[in-house]
Parts: sequence; structure tokens; C-alpha cells
Amino acid sequence: MTWDSLCAYVLALVVAPLLTGIINRVKAMFAGRHGQPLLQAYFDLAKLLRKGAVYSGTTTWVFRTGPVAGLAAVLVALAFVPLGKVPALVSFNGDFLLVAYLFGVMRFVTVMAALDTGSSFEGMGASREVQFSALAEPAWFMGLVTVIYVSGEWSLSPALAGVSSGVWGPAGSAMVLVGLAWLGVFLTENSRIPVDDPNTHLELTMIHEVMVLDHGGPDFAFILYGAILKLWTLGAFLVSLVTPYRTGMVLLDLGYGLAGMLILAMVVGIIESIMARLRLVRVPHLLLTATAFALLALFLVMR
Amino acid sequence: MDGMGNILWWLLILPVLVALISPVLPSARSALALVMVGVPLIALLALWAVITVFQAGPLLTVGGWLHLDALSAFHLAVLMVVFVMSSVFAGVYFRHEPPAHALDRHSARRFAALWYGAMAAMTLVLLSNNLGVMWVGVEATTLLTAFLICLHVSPVSLEATWKYLIVCSVGVAFAFMGVLLVAASIGAVSATDTHLLHWTHLQAIAGNLDKNLMKVAFIFLLVGFGTKAGLAPMHSWLPDAHSQAPAPVSALFSGFMLNMALYAIMRFLPLVASATGGSGWASNLLIGFGLVSILVAAVFIVVQRDLKRFLAYCSVEHIGIIALGLGLGPLGAVAALFHTLNHSVCKALAFFSAGRLGQIYGTHDMRKIRASLQVNRAWGTGMLAGILILIGVAPFAIFMSEWFLIRAAVESQRYGVLGLFLAGAVIVFAGSLRHAVGMAWGPRPASVKSVPSPVLEWLMVVLPLLFLLVLGLWMPPGFRHILESASVILTGGGTP
Amino acid sequence: MHGITDNIMAILMLINLALTLSSRLATCISLVAFQGVMLALLPLFSHEGLNPRTLFLAGLVVVVKGLIFPGLLSRAVRDANVRREVEPFFGYGTSILVGIALLTISFWVGIRLPLPVSETTSALVVPGAIGAILTGLFLLVSRRKAVTQVLGYLVMENGMTAFGLAVVPEIPLLIELGILLDVFVGVLVMAIMIWHISREFDHMDVDQLSTLKG
Repeated sequence: MTWDSLCAYVLALVVAPLLTGIINRVKAMFAGRHGQPLLQAYFDLAKLLRKGAVYSGTTTWVFRTGPVAGLAAVLVALAFVPLGKVPALVSFNGDFLLVAYLFGVMRFVTVMAALDTGSSFEGMGASREVQFSALAEPAWFMGLVTVIYVSGEWSLSPALAGVSSGVWGPAGSAMVLVGLAWLGVFLTENSRIPVDDPNTHLELTMIHEVMVLDHGGPDFAFILYGAILKLWTLGAFLVSLVTPYRTGMVLLDLGYGLAGMLILAMVVGIIESIMARLRLVRVPHLLLTATAFALLALFLVMR
Repeated sequence: MDGMGNILWWLLILPVLVALISPVLPSARSALALVMVGVPLIALLALWAVITVFQAGPLLTVGGWLHLDALSAFHLAVLMVVFVMSSVFAGVYFRHEPPAHALDRHSARRFAALWYGAMAAMTLVLLSNNLGVMWVGVEATTLLTAFLICLHVSPVSLEATWKYLIVCSVGVAFAFMGVLLVAASIGAVSATDTHLLHWTHLQAIAGNLDKNLMKVAFIFLLVGFGTKAGLAPMHSWLPDAHSQAPAPVSALFSGFMLNMALYAIMRFLPLVASATGGSGWASNLLIGFGLVSILVAAVFIVVQRDLKRFLAYCSVEHIGIIALGLGLGPLGAVAALFHTLNHSVCKALAFFSAGRLGQIYGTHDMRKIRASLQVNRAWGTGMLAGILILIGVAPFAIFMSEWFLIRAAVESQRYGVLGLFLAGAVIVFAGSLRHAVGMAWGPRPASVKSVPSPVLEWLMVVLPLLFLLVLGLWMPPGFRHILESASVILTGGGTP
Repeated sequence: MHGITDNIMAILMLINLALTLSSRLATCISLVAFQGVMLALLPLFSHEGLNPRTLFLAGLVVVVKGLIFPGLLSRAVRDANVRREVEPFFGYGTSILVGIALLTISFWVGIRLPLPVSETTSALVVPGAIGAILTGLFLLVSRRKAVTQVLGYLVMENGMTAFGLAVVPEIPLLIELGILLDVFVGVLVMAIMIWHISREFDHMDVDQLSTLKG
């Protein structure tokens, strides 16, 4: 554990809510509006934490466990993911599997909580969420295997750190493909356009939002914060992939990482502004395409 | 040798030149006249070259790019025979087309240009020493003959042309893959760029070619050129194209274009044989494709109702027989080459008759063609005799070449192959005989009038029949020498 | 290190993938043209480099595959007034699975073929070439429009060109020109045929060309 890793972790906890603010501002700019304050997510979280929660009489402890367990899972996962070329807090060989399954745990508890309400809409959302995640997983893993193959490292931090400017020369096209595949996964997992529209509140079209309709107060704050951290964590993969090299200066490295995340947020904002949401039946196509990209990247580096 | 070498040049250039002047001819009549007169003249030139080869040995010219040895000379002779027959017949045939189909000036010029273009391309296939150029020639024949099929534009003829174009282009593209693999199999043996893919060069180093790559290459070549040759199961374009093309074109397709594709395969045969150390691997493939072609064709022949489609499936069968012969060792190779000539002459005659009878009856439906011996004595005779010879009635030449083939099978003790071949031949015999007898006799349809046969048409029927009869009864020693020296090349004996 | 060749082959494979997916004819035509042009430029990077012969050939191929073919085919599409492949035999989902399968097969075969690939060429050329050939075949059998079949043929031909680059160090100029002439005339003939077909049938759906059987 080094100081800059700890700083990166704290930075993530503090700055992550800013990303949604940036995304919303970019979208507002494209639409010609002024938009929410940049810090809106912080205000929302603060407001929700101050409220009390209402629980339906039909729900059980499963419903109450969901948000807490989900947030806990993503907090642990965040500790394994490097930011830029700053290594993560913890790393060991094969830690990427743990990260994948931590996200799996988060999804599982959220889905269980949604099913526990007994609402048919939430069941529908849960079904979609699981389907799309299952399809996103191969693309994510293929990309990861490519990175591992290129760097020869079996742990996330050194593997992503291994994708340096020296790798981008000969394996550049493969890395671009991995980046594109991961972008697809990133958008899907975080329920962004073109997969899911976080702004709609029509149950029939929603995926992620519909599952958490029954949560309120601190529970909802946990869910919101968990989602924000997931956005950061998965985004960190992309940013780490494209960061050229580690300078060794703590501030500069962190600055790189942070700048990368902010740019990523803007890119997401732009994508959301210029693209329409895909019809639900087309979402698997997007994910399959991402898988094909990642597979091609893997073939390209493996020969 | 250089003086004679120039002939090879002229054989290529003359048809191209004539093809180029065809589009400016003043009338349809003059275009047809050009075809009827010009082709025999070029054939005479080719005959001279062929005779030279068999008397004085192979010709090699233009830095080794053009080459005429016994094998290609034999095929050149067949090519010229078929082309002369079809050209003369074209003059007769197009004069009798119904008004709706009559050739106008425009399409007659197009016919003449494409006809000579196809001639040049096929000659190029035979003459080129370089296997890459040979491929170019095979592909060129596909493109040049495509519009000959839809000389009369109609929905069905377009359909046939499209299938022909796509299936053959893709098939021949596979063969290109094979040619590339052959080039790759030279590997480190000798990378002299100037001789790359020259057949004479490859022949010399065949023993050192990479064995595995040559096997892969030969599969590609067999499938690729086999598509063009109409070997089953790649024959799907063949019945469509043959049935929709005008009769002279069908005759040319069956009579020589299929053989030309087989010739392309033959060129690679000795190379593969020596690369694989004479293990007979390539021969077995050829036997397999040959038998499949014979049996598939046999089934379709029995159920066929359209006269020209029936003849087309007959071609599939005979190409299968030739491929089978190529796989059966030295005697089989002689039989295959002999069969090539016999089949080409006979099939041309059969398509001529089918074309003229089709014009007279206004249909190609074999159930409606009855009493053809009464309606038109010459072409009725041609049809009946042509089919009988095709199915191997003694004492005509096809019977003899099939007899050689049977002997080759017995000598190499391939009784299973022999049994399958005989089974196919018996099915074809029975099925075809029914069609032949039905068309020759029977009640004459009331709407069809008798048509007299001028001397020229009689000649076109009688001469091929006489030719086949003579070859069936007596093989001239010179001809035997030609067949043997050509087959020596096939069996890897090298250029004599 | 074969940086440029590697990247060109990666793009080539992406184009293969895009071709299995795209149903817009205009997009497909541009993709195939782009693929052809890229392959034409490949020898300039892979062999000993620039000399008059390679430059001349590359220029010729760029003109034929990059300008003339797309022009001819777009014209055919415009005359026949079709824009996209309606109701393709394979939907998007199936197509992409096929694309992934083709990719896998081409790498699997490409690595196992005992080819004497010269050290100057990138190891990606053979898999890329096989991928293009397979993609071309897939287009030929899976699409209804005549134009797409021509495109399939062209993609196959592109694949063969790439294959030739990898395994045959230098094909004699005469053969190269002959092949190019054949392909050129081939596409010309096919374009004319498409024109005839769309005039005679009012469509160019090849699956409806099924009168002749047996």
C-alpha cells in the first residue's frame, strides 16, 4: 500500500458524485439549457441521508440488506482497481475475478431486493438487468484477457499499468478495440444511453431505475452512491487503459487519472446527447458487437 | 524453333483481332459469315502447330510464357474441331431462329465478338506455360461466354446467366487460391521470380514441392476448376446454362469449355503426383469426384423432361467418366483423353440436333418431340444416333473409350469403382434409351410440319457420325501415338 | 515489428465484421471499396517498399477498386432503386455470431496452415485473408440482393489478394495485371447483368431467380 493509492481511493469516494453532475451539464449544454448544479449529486445524497425510510409490509430483510450489501461490494471492488497508472490499494494474482464477482454480488443483492417487493415491474427490470449483464460479461473478460496477455501480469494494477505507450505501438489496434468493447460494457453496466435512459421514469423502458423504485431515504442514498462508485470503478478501467505511463509524481499521476475520469464523463454526456436509446431487442446486438471487438483484439495480440 | 513459336502468338492474336473488328461489321449476315469462315482458317493454323508438336516435339516461346506440348496440342485439336463444327452450325442455326428471337445486327456483332473472344481465352488456357496466366484464361472464358447465354434476353436466360456467372466466378476464385498455394509450396526450393509458376519449371522441381501444401492446393484446384468443369456436386450452374444458351453455345460449352477446365486440373496432376511421391492420393480424389458425377447425373437423366437439360446432365456424366479415367493410371489416362475427343464431337452433334429440333417443334420438352425421324430426317437421325453413341452403343468410339476405361479399372483391380461405374452407366443407358426412342418414333404431333434437310445439314450430321464410327472400329497408329504421348505427360513421365 | 501492416489487417478484419452486419447497400459498397484500397496500399509498406512497379500497381488497383467499382455498383443500386437488404436470411444477432465464428475459424486455420510466410510479412495477413474469403462466401450465400453477391465476390477476391501478398513474395507483373483485368471485367459484366435483371424483373432479389430446377 502506498500513499498515492490511498489518495486515489479517497479521491474516488469524494469526487465520484461529480461525474454525474458533469454528465448532466454536458447534456444540458447540448440541449441549450443551463442545467443542474455540478454538485447536484452531493445535494441529493445529503438530502436522502437525512430522511427516514418507509418499508412496505410485504418486504423482508432481503429488501433492507440490498442497498447496504451493494454499496459494501462496490467499495471493496474499488480498492482493486487502479486509477490511471496509480496502482490500486490491494492487488493479488487473479484479483480481476474477485472484482467481477463483487459486481456480481452487487447485482445479485439489488435484484433480490427488487424481487422481494413482489412488484411485477421490478421483476421485469431485474430480468433485463441480469440479461444484459450476462451479455456484457464476455466482452469485459475478453478485453481483460487481452490486457493480461499483452502485459503478462495476472493482477489488475500491474496488468493495466503494463499497457504503456510501448504497448500501444505494436498492439495499438487491439487496445483501441478493447477500449471500444469496454466502453460498451461501461455504458451498459451503468445504465446509460444507448442501453438505458436514466432520465425516463416509465417502467416499461427502464432497466436499472425500475428496480429501485421502492427504496427511499438512506437506502436510496446507498443505492445512488453505489451506482456512482460503480460508474467510477468501471470508468477507471477505461482511463487506466489509455493513460500512457506513470510519472512517479503523486500529484501529477492523480491529476492524470482525475482528468481522465472527467473527460470520460464528458464523453458519456456527449454520447447521451447525440444518440437515441436503442430498442431493448437491439441491446444484445450492441453487447455482442462489443464481444466481437474484444475477441478480435484478443486474436490480434495472440496471433 | 523460334519461327514455329510465332505460330503460338498468332493463334492468340488472330482471334483477338477478329473479335475487335466484329463490332463494326455492317450487318448480321456479315457477322455470321465472319464466324463461319474465320474460325476454320484459324483452325488450319492451329492444325499446323499441332502437327509440328507431334512431329518435332513441344514448342516453347516468348521467354517460356507460351508452351505447346503433346497434352495441350491434343486439347487444342479438340478445341478447334468443336469450334469449327459449332461455328458452321451457328450460321445454320441462327438463320432458322423464329422472328421473335432472330439475331439483329447488334446481337450478331456481339455474338461474333464474344465467340472469338472465348476462342482466344480458351486458346490462352491451352497455350500458357504459366499456371497463373492459365487461371486468368479460365476466368476470362467465364466472363466472355456469360453474355452468350443470354443472347436473347429473357427472365430465364438471365437467371441462368447470373447463376453461371456467380457460381463459376466463385469456383474459379477457389482455384486461384490453389494456384497461390502451389506458388507457396515452392517455398525455399527455388525462388526464382522469373520462372515462378512456369509449368515446365514446376515440372522439373515437382519432387521438392511441399507435400502438404500441394495437397491443400490440389483440393482447392479440384473444387475450383471442377466447378467450371461441371463435376458434381459443383455442377449446379451447368444444366441451367446449357438449357438456356443458344444451341451452338451449348455445344461449345459441353464440347470444349468443360474439357478446358478439366485440362487445367490435368496440368496440376503430375505436379501433385510427384510431390506426394506417387501415393495415388490425387487419383483417388479424381475417382471419387468422377463416380459422384456419374451417379448424380444418372439420377437426373432418368427424371429429365427438357431435352437440353438432359444433354447437360449427360455432360456431367461424361466429365465424370473422364475424371474417373484420369484417376485410373496410364491406361485410364489414355482412355480419358480418347473419351474427351469422342464426347466432344458427339455432344456437339447432339446439341446441334437438339437446337434444330427445338426450333422445328418450338419446344425442348421431350414429351412433345415425337417422330423426329419423319419430321426432319437429318436432325432426327443426328439426335437418335447422338444419344445412342453417348450412352455407349457399339461399335462407335465412345464404346471403345469406355471399354478402355473398364480395362484400366480391371488392370488396377479396382472392382468397386468398376461396379459403381457400370451401375451408373446402366442407369444412364436405360434412362436415355427411353428418351431417344420416344423422340425418334411415335405419333407425329399434328401442328408440326415436315422440314426438308439441305445437303449442308446432312453433312453436319453424317461427318461426325462417320468420324465416330471409324474411330470406334479402327484406331490409326498415328492417333494412338498422339494419345500415348499426351497421356505420358499426365502420368508424370515428363515432356517426351 | 510490422506496425502499419498489423493495423491495416486489424482494420481489414473490422471491415469483414462490419460487412457481415451491415444491411445498407451503400455502406457495404463503401466498406468493400475501402478494404480494396487498403490492400492495394499494403505492398508499399510490407515489401522492400517503394519502387516504380509497386507504385504503378497500387495506383492501378486504387483506381479500379476505389473509384470504378463503387461507381459501377452504386449506379446499379440507384437504377434498381434499392437501399438496403430487407429481410436478410440472417438477422443481426445471428450475423454477429457468424462474424465471431468466422473470425475464430480464420485465426485457427491461419495459424495452423504450414505456410512458408516470409519474415517480411506480418503474421496477421494470413488470418485476415482467410477471414475475408470466408466473409465473402458468407455474403454470397446469405444475402438476397444481386449487388451484395457481387460485393461478396469482391471481398473474396480481396482476401485472395492479401493471401497472395503473404505467401508469394512477388507475383510476376503480367499475372497481376491479368488478374486485375479479370476482376475488372467480371464486375463490369456483373453490373450489366444486374441492370438487365432489375429491368426485366423489377427487382434484384436473387432468391427469386428460381424458375430453373432439376
